Amino acid sequence: MEQKKYWQSFGEFNNSEAYNQAVKDEFQEELPFESQTGLLETTSPRRDFLKYLGFSTAAAAVAASCEMPVKKAIPFANKPEDIVPGIANYYATTYVQDGEAVSVIAKVRDGRPIKIEGNDLCPLTKGGTSARVQASVLDLYDTARLRFPTIAGKEVTYEAIDKSIADAINSLGGAPIVVLTSSVVSPSTKEVIGQFLAKHPGSKHVTYDAISYNAITLANEIAYGKKAIPSYRFDNAKMIVSLSADFLGTWISPVEFTKQYAKGKRINEKQPEMSKHFHFESVASLTGSNADERFLHRPSEAGVVAVALLNAVNGQAITNITDEALKTGITKAAKALLASKGEALVVAGTNDVNVQLVVNAINEAIQSNGKTIDWSALYTLGQGSDADFAQLLDDMNAGKVGGLFVLGANPVYTWSDSAKVVAALGKVKLTVSFSGKLDETSKLIKYVLPNHHYLESWGDAEIKTGYYSLLQPTIYPLFKTRQWQDSLLKWSGATTDYLAFLKGFWSTKLGSEAAWDKALQDGVIVPAAATIGSAAYNASALSNAVSTIASAKKVTGIELQLYQKIGIGAGQSATNPWLQEMPDPISKATWDNYLIVSPAMAKTLLNIDLTNGGQADAYEVQPPKHVVEISVNGKSVKLPTLIIPGTHPSTVGIAVGYGRNAELGKSAVSDEGTPLGANVYPFASLSGKVVSFDVANVTLKDTGDTYKVALTQTHNVYNTSQGNRTEVMKELTLGEYKHNPLEIRAEREAELAPYGGIENFEKQGTIYPVYDRPGIKWGMSIDLNSCTGCGACVVACNAENNIPVVGKPEVLRGHEMHWLRIDRYYSGEDLNNPKVVFQPLMCQHCDNAPCENVCPVAATNHSSEGLNQMTYNRCIGTRYCANNCPYKVRRFNWADYTGADSFPNNQADVLNNVVLDMNDDLTRMVLNPDVTVRSRGVIEKCSFCVQRLQAGKLNAKKESRILEDSDVKVACQQACPSDAIVFGNANSTKSAITAHRKDNPNRLFLSLEQIHVLPNVTYLAKVRNIEEEGAHGHKQTHEGAAEHHTEATHH
Amino acid sequence: MHLKYESQLREPLVSGNKNYHQVTEDIVGPIEAKPTKLWYIGFYIAVALLMFGVYSVYREVTYGIGQWNLNKTIGWGWDITNFVWWVGIGHAGTLISAILLLFRQGWRTGVNRAAEAMTIFAVMCAGQFPIFHMGRVWMAFFVLPYPNSRGPLWVNFNSPLLWDVFAISTYFTVSLLFWYSGLIPDFATVRDRAKTKLRKRLYGTAAFGWTGSTKHWQRHESLSLVLAGLSTPLVLSVHTIVSFDFATSVIPGWHTTIFPPYFVAGAIFSGFAMVQSLMIIVRKVFNLQDYVTLGHIEAMNKVIVLTGSIVGIAYLTELFMGWYSQNKYEGYTFWYSRAYLFSPYGWSYWGMMACNVLSPQIFWSRKMRRNLFVTFFMSVIVNIGMWFERFVIIVTSLYRDYLPSSWSVYYSPSTYEIGFYLGTFGLFFTCFFLFAKYFPTIAIAEIKYVLKTTGDNYKEDMSKVEKMKVDEFVHEYAH
Repeated sequence: MEQKKYWQSFGEFNNSEAYNQAVKDEFQEELPFESQTGLLETTSPRRDFLKYLGFSTAAAAVAASCEMPVKKAIPFANKPEDIVPGIANYYATTYVQDGEAVSVIAKVRDGRPIKIEGNDLCPLTKGGTSARVQASVLDLYDTARLRFPTIAGKEVTYEAIDKSIADAINSLGGAPIVVLTSSVVSPSTKEVIGQFLAKHPGSKHVTYDAISYNAITLANEIAYGKKAIPSYRFDNAKMIVSLSADFLGTWISPVEFTKQYAKGKRINEKQPEMSKHFHFESVASLTGSNADERFLHRPSEAGVVAVALLNAVNGQAITNITDEALKTGITKAAKALLASKGEALVVAGTNDVNVQLVVNAINEAIQSNGKTIDWSALYTLGQGSDADFAQLLDDMNAGKVGGLFVLGANPVYTWSDSAKVVAALGKVKLTVSFSGKLDETSKLIKYVLPNHHYLESWGDAEIKTGYYSLLQPTIYPLFKTRQWQDSLLKWSGATTDYLAFLKGFWSTKLGSEAAWDKALQDGVIVPAAATIGSAAYNASALSNAVSTIASAKKVTGIELQLYQKIGIGAGQSATNPWLQEMPDPISKATWDNYLIVSPAMAKTLLNIDLTNGGQADAYEVQPPKHVVEISVNGKSVKLPTLIIPGTHPSTVGIAVGYGRNAELGKSAVSDEGTPLGANVYPFASLSGKVVSFDVANVTLKDTGDTYKVALTQTHNVYNTSQGNRTEVMKELTLGEYKHNPLEIRAEREAELAPYGGIENFEKQGTIYPVYDRPGIKWGMSIDLNSCTGCGACVVACNAENNIPVVGKPEVLRGHEMHWLRIDRYYSGEDLNNPKVVFQPLMCQHCDNAPCENVCPVAATNHSSEGLNQMTYNRCIGTRYCANNCPYKVRRFNWADYTGADSFPNNQADVLNNVVLDMNDDLTRMVLNPDVTVRSRGVIEKCSFCVQRLQAGKLNAKKESRILEDSDVKVACQQACPSDAIVFGNANSTKSAITAHRKDNPNRLFLSLEQIHVLPNVTYLAKVRNIEEEGAHGHKQTHEGAAEHHTEATHH
Repeated sequence: MHLKYESQLREPLVSGNKNYHQVTEDIVGPIEAKPTKLWYIGFYIAVALLMFGVYSVYREVTYGIGQWNLNKTIGWGWDITNFVWWVGIGHAGTLISAILLLFRQGWRTGVNRAAEAMTIFAVMCAGQFPIFHMGRVWMAFFVLPYPNSRGPLWVNFNSPLLWDVFAISTYFTVSLLFWYSGLIPDFATVRDRAKTKLRKRLYGTAAFGWTGSTKHWQRHESLSLVLAGLSTPLVLSVHTIVSFDFATSVIPGWHTTIFPPYFVAGAIFSGFAMVQSLMIIVRKVFNLQDYVTLGHIEAMNKVIVLTGSIVGIAYLTELFMGWYSQNKYEGYTFWYSRAYLFSPYGWSYWGMMACNVLSPQIFWSRKMRRNLFVTFFMSVIVNIGMWFERFVIIVTSLYRDYLPSSWSVYYSPSTYEIGFYLGTFGLFFTCFFLFAKYFPTIAIAEIKYVLKTTGDNYKEDMSKVEKMKVDEFVHEYAH
């Protein structure tokens, strides 16, 4: 049988050659080892690519665009004539708080004040401000402000309350009415009070200030016949001796004094001369920290020290001083004072009449009267009389007072015997308070008619004799408040309101309404020619004062000194979140008061030895601090303890102003409702006619508990176990500087020698080409000699740049958002009394910025004008830039601090009440509309106030001229009371910054210069006016002789 | 791809006189059987951890990075520590599959599949951290360079973080392809044995129509070689680039040129330790002792002692440079913040030293290298040590850098920070449990490939030959 042929394909059927070949080849197709076509020739599906791209983009967009809350902006129905949206108006007015008056300019945007600047026309403060002045605008929008008048806590109308008070006055049956105020600086108000008192015979005006300057006024009354505080002229003093007077921080008129003091501290490099400041104190203060030489003594020794100084000035021997260092200090100070007769000034902060009498005698001996002490212009603050108030309390308790009208004073909180005040209030039939907030006293008062905030008020202030500053409202009153002068006028039966009264008062005084308008516009009225006046001195009481001091019993135990914090003052600012979150210049603590002890006492009391590296580290890195119970005369408080060098080993200090009631606002209390800190006014005492804040016989007991204190800086020396980080911070003494003016420059040359020295460093420090930087190049220069570390710039920056408040729990976790901070370092070898130096630090706007090249999405980059810019909506929050910033100035939004986040309802669970309160619609009115409110998850940092730079450039452009220095002022620069910050176009030959750098080549340095980040912020080294010990002092700070201290702190 | 002749002195790579069928039975068996109780317990624990991780991440995404205890000074903490740690672990897989493949190391066949799976899961875990450490994770796509409508915005090619994006995604892609291409023949095996329709369908799909033809094998081998070639530089590049995150910065303790080799060695070190931890369990649980023999364990221990010593030298070099450079900032970081035991984080440095440098030296002893218990214990210790290493590098450098004013308070993680880390363990083990149950944990095809040259049968056959005199051998095999 023929074999059947089965075939699978025609190829096989035909037995073709091709088929046979195919059968032989196992791999019939070409093996895909090599690409047959080039990449470009492929039939790549471009449409598919675009399709997928489109889809994925759309999908990503849908996924990423969560719904944002819609917020509507409603335009004016009728636009007010003088309000142009987006254009700010500026009004001159005056910050007034309990006698302190600072002439200011309020920036008003779209009808709401958002920023306070100093008034350049005021010859006293010359545009300077303080942290508290800067922060005062936030008080306007405080949610805890009283919003309407109340009778016994119930809302009423003004008609009703006026009637009811009139009835109450009538029913007093002639019992006297007392108007109780803090120092009233307004001349027109004094007249209003006078009218009111005249209308109600037997009535009187009692002035009571929480912080009493009675000793000074009383001593001056005895010695000069004038019960007042004269003007001190630190600018005329080449030699300043301060006995515990914190004149740069809280004493009398710190903004004015800082301005004057800085003038003496600024040096001309070619002829280096500067004022010299000796400071004697018990608890580390801002002023003591700025002193050229500081000496420590017990608070009870204030008199002895003053007498010793007087004796030394008079060429007598120093007795009664056993501490050798102190004795040397007094001798030196006396010698220096005598050498600068007529150009020297001694001030004392102790509220003790005898001490002030002795100080008067010293000032006479060194011929200050009429030269550095000006008797022609007297302060209006400090009128309060402790004795009058004590008398008033007795009268009230005796039922002799029918009515009490209170403004400014808060004795239930500030008087040492609070219970007595409470009892006395209970005995007064008619109590009226004008407090804007429900403070401790107002809580106990029946009629409360909240006063306007100063930014809503008309008024005037006589800062000093002849120096007037006017108030005008910058916003329509937010609430149903009424200016208290209006109330008084009404109750006096006057028909005019206070505005008409004020206008009349000043038009008469100035001669015309036009003059009044001009004065209102300027904000100030200044005396035509200011001359320094003297007063006749009467030494009769001196010997008695000296012998009283000599016979005083010597205190041996631990002593306590109560002091005011720069931010909080007597407690008025305890409700201001910006100030609570501003790190105290000395302790760097926020949100609390605490017990300050010296390192020596820490060793005995807490068993913490800061010279032991491990213990120092543990103290530093762990926020919980020992809680100590402080007992005096049966009263006691428990407070956490901070170790602050510069405090006398037997003295402890506590700030007043804490332990407030919850009605004052969220910032006064913790989230649990317990007060932040403790009230220590009860420790003060009335001794003789004045209140004393120095307390003897203090018992301290370590409770074994701990309490977390929110510190923003924990490590305090730049000298480390591996070397002194002098690249961070440079300081030297005047002696050294005179000996070798090129010292700092030589140090820099040595550091940069491997890269060709200072001149070639920019080029040789990198492998990349160096570019020209034409046009504007923004730069800043900070004179560490002028900077006192007061913190005004920190708060100014907060206000200008919408920097969120994060609250104590967040500060504790290192989440504070300040763009500008002031680093405080200790140096020198005396751990208990070190030298202190302050360094304001903000983004350095490096030309070779390490933050810029690490951002994966280019959210931070360099502008052609030298700014290191931050693009918030590009930032994805990797924090790489913050890590790579050698200055650690970048701040991350760890949570939704501002409510600007796209996720709703994510604040309440994780942020404290203060932050939520800052997000209230009312509080948010303070935000600067020119600055983006940052959302959660992005990095932010100093922008050199780019919004101001843009506005300045625009102005110059509109006027077709080249930008000038006056066009741009950054917020910190403008706020600085000591003019330590110079800012401008460093490429311009005419700018102040160029001059500042050119004129100070020897002290100029850049922090961390050697790492070649090329900062645009330069510093001028701190020079201390120490002549004789120069060489030694130098050695210890710069050449590692301070190893002793270093080792001590680290190993 | 294997030497035809293997010395008698070498241990067999597969023990137990297996034939091809037994190999298939042993490896595919567990896939076809119901999971054990132990598997369920382990799986549920892993899923629970994963859920906790998901919650932790939810907290962080909703409330912000403030849910973690990082601060103004320490911008990275556990997040990036964990990232680098997981990426490091992910190195062993590729090293085993790629470099050892190119070096013709037969012993890799026993462990490469699981090691590659581990790599992929570890990289998946690692990827979570750089993504979720972003403050605005919903904008994470900004790091991708694609044409967009947001103006002339482009990524910053100068940033090491962007290099990371490319390095990690490339590494993940190539590793996944490599792993999957190796799985295809084995999936086909499972498919061919499948008794249910669903199983057939699923594994059939996964096998991409593999028929086992010579051509398939030829292409498979070619692809493996190509991918091995691609992966080899990646093993070195990925951790080099990760180390650039630190090395290119200005922070003392980060700014170090030694980082790339030191990181790569550390990565291999930790990767092998992780393979050990996993394989010691897997071989026990799935009864695969014949495929992952003590010989394999020993070989990996040798790598561990080598790489451990390399990182040890790197640590000492850093210390030396900290002194030799006379740079006070570096000196402080290396000699005080790290090497000084009583400094706040001194414990972490010495923990690292003890775990990474001192303890692996035990493997100089053969007895210890072949001790399962010691190996397992050491593998865990090494991974703890390597975690410390990354923590030391990141946190002790950041917390006290240039300006003493900014030195940080003590940083310890928050619940959610730990939760995120535990969550990645959950993710890893959830994946690994699923892998162990549903995937052939040992490369069947590759085992079969080496079986003939290195299996017991072969060794036995060859031992007869070995003993022959030359005459006998010639006589026997002449024709």
